[in-house]
Amino acid sequence: MDTTILATFTPELIVLGAALLVFLLDVLGVRKLETFGAVAVSATAIALLAVVADLGFAPLAVLRTIPASSIDLPLGPSLYVVTSLGLVFQAIFLTSALLVSLASLSRPSDEKGSAVFFGLLLMATVGMLFAAVASDLIFLLLAVEITGISTYLLVGYTRKDARSLEAAMKFYIVGALSSSLSFFGASLLFGAYGGTSFSVLARGTSVIGYPALALAGYALLLAGLGFKLTLVPFHAWAVDVYDGAPDDVSAFLAGGSKKIGVFAFFLLFTGPVLLAPALGVWCPAGHCSTVTLRPTLELALGVLAVLTMTIGNLLALQQKEVKRLLAYSSISQAGYMLIGVAVGTAPALAGATLQVFAHVFMKAGAFLVVAAVLGLGVGPRVEDWKGLARQRPYLMLAFALMLLSLAGIPLTIGFVSKFVLFSAAVQAEGWFVWLAVAGLLNSALSVFYYARFLKTIYLDSPPPDAPAPPRLFAPIGYGRSAAIAIAVVAIVAFGIDPQPVLSGMQAAATHFVAIGA
Amino acid sequence: MAVSFGIVGLLGTRLKKLEYGGWIAVGFAAAAMIVGLLVAAAEMLSPGSYTDQSFTWLHLPGSPGTFPNGFSLVMGSLVDPISALMLLVVTVVGFLVMLYSIGYMHHDHGLPRYYAELSLFLAAMTGLVIADNLLEFFLFWELVGVCSYFLIGFYYEKPSAASAAKEAFLVTRIGDVLFLLGIFLYFTVYATAGGGAGWAASGFKFVSGSTPFLAGAMGGNTPLLTVAGLMMLAGAAGKSAQFPLHAWLPDAMEGPTTVSALIHAATMVAAGVYLLVIASLFLGFTPDDRLAIVAVGGFTTFFAATMAVVHPDIKRVIAYSTISQLGYMVLGVGAGFAMVGMYHLFTHAFFKALLFLAAGSVIHAVGTQDLFKMGGLRKPMRVTAIAFAVGALSLSGIPPFAGFFSKDDVLSSVYTAAQSNPAYWPFLILAYATVFLTAYYIFRAWFLAFSGDKSRDPTLPAAHEGPWTMQVPLYVLSALAIVAGVLPFTPSFGSLFSLGGATSVPPTYGTTDLVLSSVSVGLGLGGILLARALWGNGRVYVLAPDSALQPMRTILLERYYIKAGYDWVGLRIVYGGSRVADFFERYVIDGTIHGFERLGTKLSNGLREGQTGLVSDYASYVVAGVIGLLILLLFVAPLIIASLGGP
Repeated sequence: MDTTILATFTPELIVLGAALLVFLLDVLGVRKLETFGAVAVSATAIALLAVVADLGFAPLAVLRTIPASSIDLPLGPSLYVVTSLGLVFQAIFLTSALLVSLASLSRPSDEKGSAVFFGLLLMATVGMLFAAVASDLIFLLLAVEITGISTYLLVGYTRKDARSLEAAMKFYIVGALSSSLSFFGASLLFGAYGGTSFSVLARGTSVIGYPALALAGYALLLAGLGFKLTLVPFHAWAVDVYDGAPDDVSAFLAGGSKKIGVFAFFLLFTGPVLLAPALGVWCPAGHCSTVTLRPTLELALGVLAVLTMTIGNLLALQQKEVKRLLAYSSISQAGYMLIGVAVGTAPALAGATLQVFAHVFMKAGAFLVVAAVLGLGVGPRVEDWKGLARQRPYLMLAFALMLLSLAGIPLTIGFVSKFVLFSAAVQAEGWFVWLAVAGLLNSALSVFYYARFLKTIYLDSPPPDAPAPPRLFAPIGYGRSAAIAIAVVAIVAFGIDPQPVLSGMQAAATHFVAIGA
Repeated sequence: MAVSFGIVGLLGTRLKKLEYGGWIAVGFAAAAMIVGLLVAAAEMLSPGSYTDQSFTWLHLPGSPGTFPNGFSLVMGSLVDPISALMLLVVTVVGFLVMLYSIGYMHHDHGLPRYYAELSLFLAAMTGLVIADNLLEFFLFWELVGVCSYFLIGFYYEKPSAASAAKEAFLVTRIGDVLFLLGIFLYFTVYATAGGGAGWAASGFKFVSGSTPFLAGAMGGNTPLLTVAGLMMLAGAAGKSAQFPLHAWLPDAMEGPTTVSALIHAATMVAAGVYLLVIASLFLGFTPDDRLAIVAVGGFTTFFAATMAVVHPDIKRVIAYSTISQLGYMVLGVGAGFAMVGMYHLFTHAFFKALLFLAAGSVIHAVGTQDLFKMGGLRKPMRVTAIAFAVGALSLSGIPPFAGFFSKDDVLSSVYTAAQSNPAYWPFLILAYATVFLTAYYIFRAWFLAFSGDKSRDPTLPAAHEGPWTMQVPLYVLSALAIVAGVLPFTPSFGSLFSLGGATSVPPTYGTTDLVLSSVSVGLGLGGILLARALWGNGRVYVLAPDSALQPMRTILLERYYIKAGYDWVGLRIVYGGSRVADFFERYVIDGTIHGFERLGTKLSNGLREGQTGLVSDYASYVVAGVIGLLILLLFVAPLIIASLGGP
């Protein structure tokens, strides 16, 4: 067996091995949550270091498994291709998995099903890692499916809570529908192009000279994967699922697994197809024109981006429950990311990548704080959080930084990512500037509900007759504290000096847009 | 310097001993004032110099598009004549207000918060003044807005204060969003003009030079440039409370009086004017923009003055007067003489801060803001009465007080502009009419508060002067309100005003100018005499209930119903929009989908039975989305692209 393939997949194999180890330990009768957690944390941490080393981070050069010469090669017939942007996404995925497993160390140590939780978390991560190196549509969809199935089970892993089970069921049904749409779209593309490798799709000409088939295939993929990315109108599951899922799982779904959709969009709608030649002549309603894939897609992506941002934000304004508010905010953030896909230039992809990176810390971090606060016995509605800053000043300071970052206030990473993203849209000329305008107006709108929430936490007083939550001053655990602290440090540090990370993403994106050449 | 302020702000919150924390904040404000004075002195020693220090915070590489060389986000400080002048105003007034706060605020709760927020505000304001590019300017601009929100809502237990804070924040945000769009437009417009790529890569810095940079490069009046200029105007109008974004300022008087003096009279609201000044000097406005600016300024100045005429609340009278005076500054900029606007900003900062602090003394002494309850305060409060009178004379434009010189300069600059463009005439007339109204309403306030023998409401406590910390700022500001007008006549100080071809600062006096000045002084004196006739010696002039002027008075008190209109529109648009989306999601999409679903159910003979209603809804959204995407990609998009000429 060719060992270079094994070396290429080192991070995936580490995480996969850890997942199997967790299940094995469970069978062998180990019941301690800390054991499983330690396996998950160390596996994701080691895999993360390996990926960072592969990205060319000099101090970690010892750990490097993929030589620089085999990164960012032009697309070939192979099933996988290692791009530096893909590696950046692997690092992002692993970071989210690491944060969530770290925080989950603080769950009750005798909790039932903890092996299932950590095992599935790792399996979902494996799927995400594979998706980031996909060079073939079927490979990509299968990787997405691995993650999908793992996350459906994750949502319902407690098996007791009716709400979780209902959420899992909804997630599964809508997810299955979306998967079938994706695979149907893939089969249409196969029909149109005679292959599913991205190198074939990048060639662009339809073998049977019928561009409508290709367009329909892409429309179905847009819908099927748009489900992952919670694009409106494929978003409706997300609110119920984030709300019903166990809190740490919500953190993983919003901060981690959703991002697989972003990279899938990068692979399908930018990099490979950016330079694709015209599909052929298509005559809808009697008007014939030569259809080129990318401009046609841009329009659809732009429409979805504006819809997603706007509807996400408007509905967030109405929410009374913390998790639902964060869920809608997460939907609107997906709209911002989609701006990057729609614009499709290297700066825009770098901006979207930075937004994804930022979102891990902001949104996963926020859900982890929510998990901690609900664990203190505080209620799930925004009004239950009145004046909480006085009792838990540090926890709420962390939460405030996360919300400010989501709102895009300067000196947080959320500001930098939005700035880079919107300025890329302005740079790109043409109608893209309107995407930036829509993004700006939406940011202004979103400040309103974040600020209102902060006001509740900081300025309002709880009603005098309300009973104090039972464990209000209980410690939240070292693991969770560490995860929240990492998120806060990242938000502020990268908010003050984003240039190192940003330069890396810009270089990776520049390679990526040329991948189909 | 700005950084040190931030640190103080944070430190301030940690200091438990209240008095002590206040003094520390005062100490840092004093340090800032000394730095401000030094900067201004350095600038005077080498007139017209530009000192720019900066570093690149973020650099975005170019792509074949609008910005071939990429562009940068730069943080830096620029010291030039205008910023030195503005820095001087901000730090001097800031220090005096801080000092005054020690006496004025001593029995309030939450003092550490107060000093922290005030320090943060000063930091943000100095940052804004010395910013060397538009994006950095905007960042500090937003920060200033946030501080203002906190300070207006300082008494957050009071619902009216909380709602005023929210109103100020929301209304100014309308301006902010438009301002940001304006910045984008300038960048986009500029990037296609010669040399723009280099400018973008260097971070859009304000560049020295006597010709407005952008206008020079673009060569005049393009529609997009006009729109960009109008967006700047909108941003400035939000911050400087110009019509139609003016309504928040009077409500902002819910904050402590010191805050009103510092933020809502002398500094923050002037930031809008400052924006117009630097935009006109560095970016350039098209002639259409200038007319729009004059129109907004001219109309606002008159409009706000009319509302001040009837108001019973001493702080709100001064607040309307601020809106009106800001209108004068805007007029000066719009007439094409940016530095004339700065001149009025400079004098106004001192006499308006003086008026507010004097009003603060009165409120501190009698515990009410209602003019009709006061009266006879001249005897127990001599210092305050004289200080208020000095401020009022300066505001009314009576020589030799500071306001006379700068207001006169504004009027003559509009007169000059009207010579070449007759469209300016109506606004010149409004500006003159306002001189009369101004003198009338401010002396109405003075006579109501200070003249007569005793207060009209016997329940008021016996008045007394404040402690020395409150009196010293009154003395200093009174002195400044007298001499600030003639300071620019000295060559070294005048060099701070020597930018942008504004040769008429300080004003020159030819025959025409003397005639113009005499008219305005005459109108001012007329206003004072009318006020004395109606309200002097403790008289109260009551409008007969059946007077034809009653409806007019109601309209003025109700502020032309604009505030009510805002509320209506705001409720309808913001909440309505959100409700529409909710409604849409719940009924329209659901309804349509249920329709499809029923169709589907019929077709498939009830295959869907057994699923929960909700999930099927979600699935139907997906199906509807797929159908929509198919239509969009297969039919709509090719047609749109074809109609645009195709790729």
